[in-house]
Amino acid sequence: MLRRFRLEEPETVAEASELLSRFGESAKVYAGGTELLLAMKEGLVHYERLINIKQLKSLRQIKSDNGAISIGALCTHNELETSPVIRQTLPALHMLERNVANVRVRQAGTLGGNLCFAEPHADPGTLLMALGATMVADNAAGRREFSAEEFFVDAYETSLRDDELLSEIRIPVPGAHFRSAYLKFGYLERPSVGVAVAFNSNGGGLSDVRIAVGCAGPSPRRVREAEALLDGKSREEAERSLAQAGQVAGSASQAISDLHGSQDYKEHIVGVLLKRAFHGAFS
Amino acid sequence: MQFQKEVEIRAPRGRVWDFIWDVDRFIACVPGCKEARTIEAGKKYAATMVEKVGPFKVEFPTTIEVLEREELSHIKAQASGADNKIGSRMKIDLDVHLRESNGNTALGFVATVDILGKLAALGHGIIKRKADQVLDEFAQAVKRRLEEDS
Repeated sequence: MLRRFRLEEPETVAEASELLSRFGESAKVYAGGTELLLAMKEGLVHYERLINIKQLKSLRQIKSDNGAISIGALCTHNELETSPVIRQTLPALHMLERNVANVRVRQAGTLGGNLCFAEPHADPGTLLMALGATMVADNAAGRREFSAEEFFVDAYETSLRDDELLSEIRIPVPGAHFRSAYLKFGYLERPSVGVAVAFNSNGGGLSDVRIAVGCAGPSPRRVREAEALLDGKSREEAERSLAQAGQVAGSASQAISDLHGSQDYKEHIVGVLLKRAFHGAFS
Repeated sequence: MQFQKEVEIRAPRGRVWDFIWDVDRFIACVPGCKEARTIEAGKKYAATMVEKVGPFKVEFPTTIEVLEREELSHIKAQASGADNKIGSRMKIDLDVHLRESNGNTALGFVATVDILGKLAALGHGIIKRKADQVLDEFAQAVKRRLEEDS
């Protein structure tokens, strides 16, 4: 059962930041509530105040802006799933959002909430890393931008400062030769392993290869050593290196043995998904 | 969950042994441990363990009982506590071994940690990783403290 809490309703991002600063650890930002309220109902966490940011309309836009797709942190998974801009420009993200959790979570849960809660078995962070996303955080003093890699610190931990609000996620608009895919596997409610791959392929070879692994370990990770095995190679050469890249990515995933599978098993699945995602990106 | 750690300390075994029984100095090496006190010297102690994973905080008022003690070489102890706020319990069975190693001391311990209750919702893997981190930090802090003092 939910214990009593006070609901704060700021009208601007600056007000929300000021409330976070004033109430510190006794307050938490409330967006979709799909993770937060469950944890509160279970009694795992308690906050005296929830800062309801749902009415901050400026954080609920999806638009093409200055070479990037700008996604407001309050956009729900359903809004991303059904957005024509996302479907046409970032098909891998569109597919990911179509398959996040279940329809009830997709209706209420927000992308920003998903990222900020940093639950280890969440999907979006992994793909955002591969897509080279930039996170935008605001507080009363101003705005800070940092990469998705810098955003994730550990299980349930991000690099957001205490008074910062994740306001926007910016993804570079892909060029004509850009390809990407995200695949996940699991047999419980949440995925055991997620793998994202992205690269440019203009016929002369692969460039700007990005590989990220999530769900297996405490937080999503970009695996540069695996990227280096594919970067600059022709498609055929890269295919021959996929097994090795998969092994490297599996080892780098920091897979944890748990109910979702043993460490060895997850590392193996990383390799399988990397191969499939690579081929999927071309289809 | 079982954990095994060993750390070699540049200090004679007698000093390491004395350090273990100096509650205030020893407790300072246990990450998240506060308010330690002696209930019965050499047998029973109390402490509060505070740990955090992201937004999840637990606070276990803990009782530590020394079950066996073999001078300079072995201690068997059990720690147990409950966080009633989040409905979780913790039990740790601890075996500590000391042996001489080229004038230094090898301090080894085997800890069997059981966490029960709602905290388990965080997932076995996350809890195991956190416990492993805590034990590593503890072993390194003991080593550092003793070697700094010598």
